[in-house]
Amino acid sequence: MSPAAESSSTQPAIAVTAVRRSFGRGATAVPALGPIDLTIAKGEFAVIVGASGCGKSTLLRLIAGFDTASEGTVLLAGEAPVPGRHSGIVFQQPRLLPWRTVGGNIDLALSYAGVPQRDWPATRDALLERVGLVGLATRHTWELSGGQQQRVAIARALAVPAPVLLLDEPFAALDALTREVLQEDLRAVSAESGRTAVLVTHSVDEAVFLGSRIVVLSARPGQIVLDLPVDLPRTGVEPAEIRASSEFARIRGELAVELRRSAATPGAA
Amino acid sequence: MGITAYGYAMSATTIHDLTGPQATATRRPARTQPPSTPRSSSAARRQVAREVALRVGAVVALVAIWWAVSAWGKPDPTLRPSPLLVWHTFLDLANPAGAGYNGLTLWGHLATSLRRIGIGASAGVGAGLVLGLLMGTIRPIGIVLAPLLNFVRALPPLAYFSLVVVWFGIDEKPKLMLLAIAALPPVAIVTADAVSSAPKALVEAARSLGAGRLGTIRDVVIPSALPQVLVGVRLSVAIAYSSVVAAETVNGLPGIGGMVRDAQNYNNTAVVLVGIFAIGFSGLLIDGAIALATRRTSRWRSLT
Repeated sequence: MSPAAESSSTQPAIAVTAVRRSFGRGATAVPALGPIDLTIAKGEFAVIVGASGCGKSTLLRLIAGFDTASEGTVLLAGEAPVPGRHSGIVFQQPRLLPWRTVGGNIDLALSYAGVPQRDWPATRDALLERVGLVGLATRHTWELSGGQQQRVAIARALAVPAPVLLLDEPFAALDALTREVLQEDLRAVSAESGRTAVLVTHSVDEAVFLGSRIVVLSARPGQIVLDLPVDLPRTGVEPAEIRASSEFARIRGELAVELRRSAATPGAA
Repeated sequence: MGITAYGYAMSATTIHDLTGPQATATRRPARTQPPSTPRSSSAARRQVAREVALRVGAVVALVAIWWAVSAWGKPDPTLRPSPLLVWHTFLDLANPAGAGYNGLTLWGHLATSLRRIGIGASAGVGAGLVLGLLMGTIRPIGIVLAPLLNFVRALPPLAYFSLVVVWFGIDEKPKLMLLAIAALPPVAIVTADAVSSAPKALVEAARSLGAGRLGTIRDVVIPSALPQVLVGVRLSVAIAYSSVVAAETVNGLPGIGGMVRDAQNYNNTAVVLVGIFAIGFSGLLIDGAIALATRRTSRWRSLT
């Protein structure tokens, strides 16, 4: 076993250290994010909230490994992040491959993961069942509704054998009803899988309902202005009960105030 | 505070099947649904019938004009062969038991040329696909080769035919080379463009599933480029097809282009016309087949 693997049990799932990201060069460079220090432990469901343009999606892309920080380091399990290796990602749009069927989209993830081909059907069906899409494997992606497509995207991301799940405003493009149902499902699925998750959203409700921890970013350049633990039960409770609880309302209120204040205050340069 | 701390796993049955009004509202019309009501489909059928009638009528009118011109004044089978003469020439040439032209039936000449086009165009298209893929994925290659290919594409095949003959003689080789050179640039240019404009969102999605560079090319870049690439193939085959007369300029018999050239030398205009019709109609058939294949593979494109 390598030293890295040995120490991995004590390592945080995600470690963001003194990270800044600016776009452009020299005098015209625009700081978009940072400095940010953020450590996320294994099994946490962290939600990053902030107004549009505060750099929360930029932060997620840095954690995914699609982007590199201008300064500072991002480490997942002690390593520089590689998409698909250290994390599975759900985007705002489903981004399914339209020339593949629903099952074919999931098979692709299984093939990259090195799952032997004879195990694909069973694994694929189990994943689809987990997101509530039984019997749709042979359908074309365009035959599905927007909500169903996003479910496939979640199943596909879960097929990635990575300990971290990243979600970039995954429900923003959906209608309110579908969004609520999918939030409930995601809450159940993530509790079931035990994966570390980071979700970016601008919805206060979504943040409180899904997060075990909420991180609020200031206006651009995004800096952490609030880091709030959420002590709502993760399992064994009806979603409606959670939404109706006084604790939910309390956190929701606190967050809404903070979010309004932070949206008006840019981070210190 | 970890989310596994509760040790209670929610079953998958909590995941609701989503079939609300939204589910149906955003769904695109399925293939199984009739696209329109019976009344409007009969109207559509009438529309198609009208179009077919119009086309047939136009062809009949064209042949009538041709016949009128050929019947005007003194008959001149060299300048103005009549439709009937061309028809009889066709029957003679097409008759498997007949003498044909230069000892070979029309089908024999056509088959020889089709074989040349098949080999030449396949080689050109194959090389064009590989070049296009390289140009689209490795930037410097694209920068160097794009102007060169556009230059070659601008040349009429007859312009480089002499060079090809000087280098490869007058047998099969120069003919195949000419067709390959004619077929290569369009598919290469189109492929390069299609490959380099692969949707970044889907490339990222594949990477997020763990795709490496090769996996991304195999699973996203190539499938997304395929419909456009097939359009390029269609263009290339059409250009190879229209170059067959040029390719068979020298020592072209047997061959449909050679037959046209040779008959022209003997002022045998009827045979020239039969040859032209044979090239035109067979070209239409092949183009139609490729167009059909294109539609099959790019169905997702119109539906997404």
